[in-house]
Amino acid sequence: MTNHWIDIKNSDVILIMGSNAAENHPVAFRYIIRAKEKGALLISVDPRYTRTSSKADIYAHLRSGSDIPFIGGMINYILEKELFHEEYVRLYTNASFILNDQFRMPGELDGVFSGYDPEKRAYNKKSWAFEKDVDGVVLKDKTMKNQRCVLQLLKKHYSRYDLALVSKITGTPENLLEKIYAAYASTGKRDRVATIMYAMGWTQHTVGTQNIRAMAIVQLLLGNIGRAGGGVNALRGESNVQGSTDHCLLFHILPGYLKTPKASQATLKAYNEKYTPKSLEPESANWWQHYPKYSTSLLKAHYGEHATADNDFAYNWLPKLDDGQNESWMMIFHKMLQGEFEGFFAWGQNPACSGANSNKTRDALAKLKWLVNVNLFDNETGSFWKGPGMKPEEIETEVFFLPCAASFEKEGSITNSGRWGQWRYKAVDPLGQSKPDAQIISDLFHEVKKLYENESGVYPDPVIRLAWDYGKKDDQGRITHVDPHLIAKEINGYFLQDTTVKGRTFKKGTLVPSFAYLTDDGSTSSGNWLYCNSYTEKGNMMARRSKKDESGIGLFPEWAWCWPVNRRIIYNRASVDEYGQPWDPERAVIKWNGSRWVGDVPDGGWPPLKNPDGSDNPKTRKAFIMKPGGVAHIFGPGRADGPFPEHYEPLESPLKENPLSRSHRVNPASRLFYEEFHSPYDIYASADPNYPFIATTYRVSEHWQTGVMTRHTPWLMEMMPQIFVEMSRELADQKHIKNGTKVKISSARGSLWAIAVVTSRFKPFQIMGKKVHQVGLPWCFGWQYPEDGSGGDSANILTPSIGDANTMIPESKAFMVNVEKIKSF
Amino acid sequence: MQKGVLIDITRCIGCRGCQVACKEWNERSARKTSFKGDFTNPAKLSSDCYTHIRFVETEKKGQPVWTFVKDQCLHCKNAACLSACPVAALTKSAQGAVMYSFDKCIGCRYCMVACPFDIPKYEWESTHPWMQKCSFCVERIEDNMEPACIKICPTETMYFDDYDKVVAEAEKRVAKQPDKYVSHIYGQNEAGGTNWIYISDIPFNKLGFNTAVPDYALPDFTWNVLSSIPGKVIGIAAFLSVVAYLRTRGVREEDNS
Repeated sequence: MTNHWIDIKNSDVILIMGSNAAENHPVAFRYIIRAKEKGALLISVDPRYTRTSSKADIYAHLRSGSDIPFIGGMINYILEKELFHEEYVRLYTNASFILNDQFRMPGELDGVFSGYDPEKRAYNKKSWAFEKDVDGVVLKDKTMKNQRCVLQLLKKHYSRYDLALVSKITGTPENLLEKIYAAYASTGKRDRVATIMYAMGWTQHTVGTQNIRAMAIVQLLLGNIGRAGGGVNALRGESNVQGSTDHCLLFHILPGYLKTPKASQATLKAYNEKYTPKSLEPESANWWQHYPKYSTSLLKAHYGEHATADNDFAYNWLPKLDDGQNESWMMIFHKMLQGEFEGFFAWGQNPACSGANSNKTRDALAKLKWLVNVNLFDNETGSFWKGPGMKPEEIETEVFFLPCAASFEKEGSITNSGRWGQWRYKAVDPLGQSKPDAQIISDLFHEVKKLYENESGVYPDPVIRLAWDYGKKDDQGRITHVDPHLIAKEINGYFLQDTTVKGRTFKKGTLVPSFAYLTDDGSTSSGNWLYCNSYTEKGNMMARRSKKDESGIGLFPEWAWCWPVNRRIIYNRASVDEYGQPWDPERAVIKWNGSRWVGDVPDGGWPPLKNPDGSDNPKTRKAFIMKPGGVAHIFGPGRADGPFPEHYEPLESPLKENPLSRSHRVNPASRLFYEEFHSPYDIYASADPNYPFIATTYRVSEHWQTGVMTRHTPWLMEMMPQIFVEMSRELADQKHIKNGTKVKISSARGSLWAIAVVTSRFKPFQIMGKKVHQVGLPWCFGWQYPEDGSGGDSANILTPSIGDANTMIPESKAFMVNVEKIKSF
Repeated sequence: MQKGVLIDITRCIGCRGCQVACKEWNERSARKTSFKGDFTNPAKLSSDCYTHIRFVETEKKGQPVWTFVKDQCLHCKNAACLSACPVAALTKSAQGAVMYSFDKCIGCRYCMVACPFDIPKYEWESTHPWMQKCSFCVERIEDNMEPACIKICPTETMYFDDYDKVVAEAEKRVAKQPDKYVSHIYGQNEAGGTNWIYISDIPFNKLGFNTAVPDYALPDFTWNVLSSIPGKVIGIAAFLSVVAYLRTRGVREEDNS
C-alpha cells in the first residue's frame, strides 16, 4: 500500500476491484465503514456480488480478465471530459514529456507497440524513448498540447476504449460504467480524493502488472497519489507477505528490492553501475543513486569481516542468474517436473494446492529425491505421494517433516500491507518438538556448514564465511536460541567502525539511525536498507505502541514503525501544491511552514518547487524521488509488455479474437508454456465449446490460503466445511443443477467436485453480443484434510500454466471450465 | 445498570468473527456440518451454537442484495422463558442478561416453548442435558468487558452500552438517515422490549425476524391466564421442585466432594 489501513477512512470515493476486502481483509472494513459514515461512496466491481459488494453504494459486475478495458474506459472518460487534476499532472507526472517520433501504439500496429519481435515474444524498447535536448535532458511541453507528449498519446491510445466497446468486452452495462466513471472522476479536484483497494483479482492475470499500471494512471490523472485517502493500495493476502517481499522472497530481488546479480556482472562495480540510475534531469533527487551504499552494506551484513574492499566485499559469493534466466514459481515446478531438482524445501507453504495447475505441481513433486515439508501440519504437499491418482509404489521421493512454531509461539516482526513493521511477542511455547523457523534455519545452517568444513565441497566460501551472530553459541559454536532482536538489528545495520557521515560521528558497534547514513566503503552494514531506522539506539521502533496522533488523519507515527523512515504515506510531497501547501488543508499529510515540512515524514526534506514570491527554488527536488526524472510514470517504458496498458484476452477466454486486435489475442510478451514446451500438462482450451464457462478462484473469510491452518480449526470448518462453486440461476437452469447438489467442474487440465451455490449474485454476461456465464470457486480445500475427503480439493486443479509478462504470477483468476450435474463423483 | 446492545445490520460484513469468538469464550465445540448451498452454517442455533450469522439473499430492482443477520438471545426485559420456568432456573440479572442456572433446571423445556424467538436450545445429544443459550457474556460485563462477539467485530456492527443510551443511539441513527434505515427498531417494543435491539435497511419481515411477536411482555399475558388457576400452579411447582431436587442431587454431591 502507498498508504495504510487507517488512511482509508479519509477517502471520498473507495473503489474495491480485484479484491474482496470484506471477506479477505475484514479488519480493513472498519475504516471503510468509517469513511462511509462521513459520506464516502463505496464502489465494488467484481464478476460476482460478494460480501464486499453487499456494503457498496454502487456494484457493477464485469467478466474476469476485462479489467484493462474497464479502467481504460475510465482513463478515456477522464481525458475526454477533462476531469483530470491539471496542475498535479503537470507538476508530478511525465505527462508533459515528449516521445520520439518512432514510437507507435497498438491502434496503429494491430495490438502491439513499436519494437515487437514475435519470435522472441519480446519488445526492443528503443522506440519507447523520450526526445532529448543536446544536454540529454528530456524535452517537455508544459502545456501538454504537443501531439507527441505523453498526455496526448495517452488520450489517443485510450480513445479506442469508448463506452460501447468497453461494455461489450466487460459485460458491464454502459449506464453503470458511466455512473462509476463519473463518481470516481469527481475526485480530480483539490478537495476530493479517491482510493483503490486491489488484490489478487488484479495481479493473477497475464496482464496483472498492467491492470495495476492502468489504475495508477487514473490515480495520477486525478491527483490522488501521495494524499490522505488516496494512493494505490495492494491488500496483501498474508499477514507478513509485505515483509517477505521486502526481504527478498522472490528470485529476482535481494533484500530492499536490490537486483539479483547476473553472471555477466563480474564485479561489484559492474553490478552497481548497471543498477545505479543516472539522471540529467534538474531537480531530480534520483534516490537510487545511492544504490552502491545499500548493496555494499548488504554484503557487509551477509559476510561481515570476510567482506573487504580487497575481495570486492564478497560480491562473488552471491548467487547469480544467467542473463534472461527466470526462476519464478511456475518455472521451478516446470523444471522440477523435468527432473532438474533433487530436493525441495516447502517452507510454510502448500504448493500442491496453492500453485496454479495443481496436477502438474503434484506430479513434479514425485520427481524429487527428497522433500522437506516445514509446516504446522502435514498437508497435501508433504503427503502428495498418497494423493489422488498417485502410485506410492512408483514414487521414490523421501519426505521429511519439520514441525515449526506458529506465529503465537515465537517472537519477531511482521510487516503488514501498510508497510508497518510490527513487533510481536511470544504468547505460548511451541508444541512438542516444533521450533521457530529461524531456529530451524540456524540448526540447518550449522549442519551444512559442518559438512562443508569436514568434507569440503564445491565453492564452500559463500556458506562457511557467512556472518551468523544471532545468539549465544554453545561449545560446538552453535546457536541454541536464535534471538530475533539480533536479526532485527542486523537488518537495520551497524556502524562497523567509528564513522563520520554527513558531519555526524558514530561509534563502532552502534546502530545506524537511518539509510541516509549508510556508506559504500564497508564502514556500515544493513541487511535491508529499507528497514534501516527500524531498530536504532533509541530502541526497537517496531515495538512502539503509542496511540498519539497529532495529524488528525490517523497517521499514528509512534505506533510500530513504517518503511521507509517511518513515512506513513509515500509520495507525500505530491500532496501539496508547488508552494508546499496541501491540496486539501482539511486532510493535510505534510505542509511547508516556511522553513521545514511539518506532518508526516516527507519524501526528503528539500523545499517546495517555488518560493513564496513565485520564483523557482533551486534547492528543491521533485516529489517522486525514486524515479530518475523525479516524476511519476504515466508513460511506463520499464514494463515488458508496453508503456501503456493494453487489453489482451486471458489465455483461456470465451472469445476467439481480441476485440481490440486481430493478431494478438493473448499478451504478446507472456511466455506460452504449451507452445514452448509442448507438454500435455500445460494444455489449454480457449473459445472451446467443451469448456464454455468463465471461471475464477477466490478465498473466503473462514479459511486462510490453502487452509492448512484453518482446515485444522474445527470452528472454522463448521462454518465453511466443503468446496463450493457459485453460479447464476440461469446457468443452473440450463444445466439442471439444483442448489446444494454436487457438480463436476472441469478444465482442460483437470476436474473436481464442488457443491453448487445457485445464486442471484452471479449473472450471465453479454460479451460481444453473446451470453456468457461465469462461475467461481475457492481454493482453500484439499484432499489430505479433513481425512474423510469431505472438504474436496483445491480449485487450482483447474488453473492454467501461464503468467504475467512482467512478473510470471500465474493467471488463476480467469480461465474456462465446464460444469456438469453428477450423482456421485 | 441495565446494559443493551444495538445491532446495526447495515454494518455487518458477514465475516462471522462473532460466531467463533462466542464459541471460544463459551467453550462450545464444533459439530460436523456439510455445505448445503447456503453460507449460513450451522443452519440453526444449538446448544453448541449460541449465535450465528444468517446470510439472507434478496433482490431489489433485479439486483442482488445480501444481508447478514446475527441471531442470539435478545434478552427480553420481561422474558417469557423466565416466567415459564417453574423452578426459577432463569433469572434477569442486574446487567440485563437473562441468565440460566443449570443447578435449578429440571429439564422441562418450557422455556423453549415459551420463547417467541426460538432461542433456548437443549443438549439433546447429552446424557446429562441442560438448556443452553447466549448469556450476554455477563461474567465479562461484570469485569468491565464487552461481550466476546462485540469485542471481535471488525466493523463495529454492535454498540454496547447502558440500555437507555443504546436505544437513544438507535433512534438517533434512524432519525439521521431516514432514507437508509427502515423506521423500525426491532426489539424496542417487541415482546415488551428486549435488551438487544436491531436497526436495518431491509424490512425485518424480509430478514426472517418474527414480526408477529406482540408488543406487550409475554409474561403479563401468561400471568393473566395462570393467575386464574393458582392452586394448580402451586401444585405443579411443588411437584417440579421435588423433581428438581432429586435430579440435581448428583451435581450437589459432586460440588460438595
